[in-house]
Amino acid sequence: MKVLAAGVVPLLLVLHWKQGAGNPLPITPVNATCATRHPCPSNLMNQIRNQLGQLNSSANSLFILYYTAQGEPFPNNLDKLCGPNVTDFPPFHANGTEKARLVELYRIIAYLGASLGNITRDQKVLNPYAHGLHGRLSATADVLRGLLSNVLCRLCSKHHVGHVDVTYGPDTSGKDVFQKKKLGCQLLGKYKQVIAVLAQAF
Amino acid sequence: MALFAVLQTTFLLAFLPLRTYQSEVLSEPLPLTPESLSVSINSAKQCLHLQWTVHNLDYHQELKMVFEIQISRFKASDVIWTGNYSTTVTQNQVLHWSWESELPLECAIHFVRMRTMVDDARIPVPRFWSNWSSWEKADAQNSLGDHPLYVFPKDKLVEEGSDVTTCYISRNHQDNISCYLEDVLTFGKQLDQSVWAFKLKNISFLRKTGTNFYCQGQGVPEGVVLFVSKVLEEPKNFSCETRDLKTLTCTWDPGDDTGLIQLPSYTLFESFSRKKTLCKHRNRCDWQVTQDSQEMYNFTLVAENYFRKRSVCILFNLIHGVHPVAPYNLFPKNVSATNATMTWKVHSIGNNSALLCQLQLLGEGKVIQQHNISVRVNGEYLLSELEPDTEYMARVRCAYADHFWKWSELISQNFTTAEAAPSEAPDVWRDVMFVSGYPMVTLFWKPLSKVHTHGKILFYNVVVENLDEPSSLEVLSVPAPANSTKVTLNQSSYQIHVTAHNSVGPSPASTVAISGHPGNENVEEGRINGTEDGFPMSWKPQSRNATGYVVEWCDGPQNLPCVLQWKNLGPTTTGTVISSGAFRPGVRYNFRIYEISTKRMAHLLEKKTGYLEELAPSYNPQVVPNNLTSHSFTLSWKDYPTESQTGFIQGYYVYLKSKAGEKCHRGFEKTVLPDNSVCCKYTIDNPDQKTFVMKDLQPESVYEFFVTPYTSAGEGPMDDFRKVTTPDEYSHILIHIILPMIFCVLVIMIACYLKSQWLKDKCYPDIPDPYKSSVLSLIKSKENPHITIMNVNDCVPDAIEVVNKPEGSKIQFTGTRKSPTETKGTKPAYLDLLPTEKNYSGPGPCICFENFTYNQAASDLGYCGHFPVTSQAPHCQLGPLTSPENLLKTLEQNYMNSLGEIPAGEANLNYVSQLASPTSGDKESPPTNPPEPALCSEYKMQMAIPLGLASPPPSENSSLSSTTLLDPGEHYH
Repeated sequence: MKVLAAGVVPLLLVLHWKQGAGNPLPITPVNATCATRHPCPSNLMNQIRNQLGQLNSSANSLFILYYTAQGEPFPNNLDKLCGPNVTDFPPFHANGTEKARLVELYRIIAYLGASLGNITRDQKVLNPYAHGLHGRLSATADVLRGLLSNVLCRLCSKHHVGHVDVTYGPDTSGKDVFQKKKLGCQLLGKYKQVIAVLAQAF
Repeated sequence: MALFAVLQTTFLLAFLPLRTYQSEVLSEPLPLTPESLSVSINSAKQCLHLQWTVHNLDYHQELKMVFEIQISRFKASDVIWTGNYSTTVTQNQVLHWSWESELPLECAIHFVRMRTMVDDARIPVPRFWSNWSSWEKADAQNSLGDHPLYVFPKDKLVEEGSDVTTCYISRNHQDNISCYLEDVLTFGKQLDQSVWAFKLKNISFLRKTGTNFYCQGQGVPEGVVLFVSKVLEEPKNFSCETRDLKTLTCTWDPGDDTGLIQLPSYTLFESFSRKKTLCKHRNRCDWQVTQDSQEMYNFTLVAENYFRKRSVCILFNLIHGVHPVAPYNLFPKNVSATNATMTWKVHSIGNNSALLCQLQLLGEGKVIQQHNISVRVNGEYLLSELEPDTEYMARVRCAYADHFWKWSELISQNFTTAEAAPSEAPDVWRDVMFVSGYPMVTLFWKPLSKVHTHGKILFYNVVVENLDEPSSLEVLSVPAPANSTKVTLNQSSYQIHVTAHNSVGPSPASTVAISGHPGNENVEEGRINGTEDGFPMSWKPQSRNATGYVVEWCDGPQNLPCVLQWKNLGPTTTGTVISSGAFRPGVRYNFRIYEISTKRMAHLLEKKTGYLEELAPSYNPQVVPNNLTSHSFTLSWKDYPTESQTGFIQGYYVYLKSKAGEKCHRGFEKTVLPDNSVCCKYTIDNPDQKTFVMKDLQPESVYEFFVTPYTSAGEGPMDDFRKVTTPDEYSHILIHIILPMIFCVLVIMIACYLKSQWLKDKCYPDIPDPYKSSVLSLIKSKENPHITIMNVNDCVPDAIEVVNKPEGSKIQFTGTRKSPTETKGTKPAYLDLLPTEKNYSGPGPCICFENFTYNQAASDLGYCGHFPVTSQAPHCQLGPLTSPENLLKTLEQNYMNSLGEIPAGEANLNYVSQLASPTSGDKESPPTNPPEPALCSEYKMQMAIPLGLASPPPSENSSLSSTTLLDPGEHYH
């Protein structure tokens, strides 16, 4: 399963990204077919809130764990190397309708999930003995997957949205090690920032 | 035929010119220039890869050629490297050559050109270089994007200790960029307007995940990760062995990890068979033995990583390296009390080759037997001389019998031999106490050692045999693990037999004999000194027929219950050392040495007492001072037990301190205490002396004393001094006098109390009551109803009668109040002495009599006054008397009694008859029958008035009046 998360899924995401990179497609029309494989739980929004809170509570420690494992210059140049300047990150508008917010949340979670998969894969190669970091990355990816499923359930069950086009971040597989470290750090910095906003918004 | 000859000639004629032409060509410098030169870049390896061809070579022609290559950087004119490359060139051959750049190729444009020269021996000298090819450009920067900063080389592998050159390309020339290796600032060299290079020397290994090198200006830092590898070590301890002659296993110590994620590879190469295998582990490799009965193997182990290749060799004989697999199924069979058969199996080797197996028998962790057995498949061996009921461990290992090289791993199996009857009699001793003349015997025995029990002891049998009555046998069975029992005997002689029983049978019996009568206990006790080894002691044998000696003692201190211990000694022994782990310093141990007769009877031989190590006394005696006198006192500590101390008490030190600090008494010596105070010390060297008399002391002095015992190890702890104050020298005399006096006074007081009435009657009888007087009987006898006793209320005592004398009148003032008659000169005047009541406002009946308190001197003056009688006045007033003489006598008697201290003979009582008539009842009226005052009836000065008799009322006026009355200076004549 970890292999799937670390290798195959990012690969699929990359393939997917090539098709729609940087250009999110509009959501599925309301009248589109919407069906979920499993019935959605009744307290879906509570679960979404709890998952966002869980992610928010662990985001900073994950960020610290990450940049500490990369060695210098990362811990002492967080603003430059790990600043949340991810250009193609999906936007979020906290004052939108629930449906709009959920759609944006879905795009963000999908983006983050793919990026976290890349980071996990890279770190297993670059820092093969940083088991603590690997565990935290995997756990975060697991929660993100659950959250993605719940958001989709909510969109489908209440707002009849069965499909949301998403975008993904750049693939890091061809990049050099320093770039991998830097991109991962930037992504986790962005993740820490945006997850706080999302937890507040829901 | 002729045609053939013509054709041959024609061919030769035609061929010769061609051959000549060719020879001319080879003899001249060939215009062979490298062509189609192309340069490609391998960024990862920092290599410029050159590829070219040489034209103008004939078919099948091979020429050895030299290529001179020039490489420029940034500009074609800046040649940084020139070198030759020699090779043999054939026609249309594409030549390859690589050049590794120290500087990352992305940081600079490189130009390459070359020229060639034939370097073939077949070509005569001189040889000429061809023309240079055109410069070929290698530009890796084309692939870069438009980022402002790039750092190279990316993800480079570097060997620890080597040098590496990094560089950066900055698009912004104004940016001030600094570069760091981890967090250490590094300084570089500017190669171009936008390119800087940094030579990192002797780079060291930091971590497996690489070393960061980064540069930062104003923008986002950029960097690279250098993966530093430790130097690959040569494999050590390379050896091979086979477990089954089918597979070889070679092992080695790979040394330190290179620290890279990419592990070095290990390859095993065998030179005879020219086979090789890539090892799956970094320290072990398996090699399949072929069936062609190859015995010798020449292995080469090659360790290789990105930077290095290391190899070690070994020549290995298969037969000499057999390390058999451990045997299996080791089991004991037919285990008896002393024998056991061990069986096991071995893995076959090759063609059922024999193995040499070693069987070891271990008892209590030590190898006690070892046997070598040759085994092909099944091994079996009979172990004998085993101890009953003993746990053993059997171990087996095997080696290749044809050529020993290494034992296999051991396998082991535990087993326990069967039980047997105990082999030795228990060691028995007894303690005999006589209760009411009958011996009460406590039998003790020591548990048999494991060697002798041969099984679990279940119970002990005690057989009591009365020697005087052979038929009577008493058998007691004491369950284990008890080690004592009590037997009450009568006054006969006994033999007691004790046997230990396990599940198989009894042990031999141990016998003690008991006499029905107490033996000689009056043996003098000797002292012994303990040593590190215990208590050495010796004794003198009393009998030649002694079968042995027993020393008994108690392991614990005397105040604890005795844990009886004993030691059996042979008949020739006259000394031993008693040692025990329970012996402690400072504890007195008592030893009794018995001689054992042939009849197993024990006779007390000697008593010994001693300490393993004497200690200083742990506490001091409670000293009581008594017999305290002004010059001595006695100290006593008779309750101090000398027997239970931590050493033999050799005596006592008596410390004495006096406040005066004078010199010490005789027998004392000055000593300095631990607190640096000086005192006197007396040594009592008799441990039985537990009193001490302090003599020659000063009375009324404070002395401080302190008594401590001492042993050979020192004296007792330094406690507080006690104070004693000697009493006054005469205090005992005072006590001898005062106490009897107090006693006497008390006796007198008690007697007085008991005889108070008698004393009262004797010393101060009651004032006679006129109504109870005998006068009344006289009055009644006259039967004169008019004659009554004068009422006291009718008297006016506070009046002074002024007697008109012929010499002149005198007025006396005795009070503040004045009588209206006091100014009359011729009549008798009255002055109030005391505040009078209303009814006494006027002059009342006057009684003039002489005061009883007159002293002799005053009475001699001849004054006499008249006193008005008050109600508080004593009942001295009498009514009209039939006979003044009788009355006078009676009164005289009564007043004498009431006066107390005034002797009757000294008081000059001049009675003046009372004129007032008590019967008249008229206090205002003058007396009806005023008496004629005699000339001698004058007032006399009062000197001392007893309060009980004539004291006036306690008013200020009365006091004043009284004072006036008493003061002779206030007399007016």
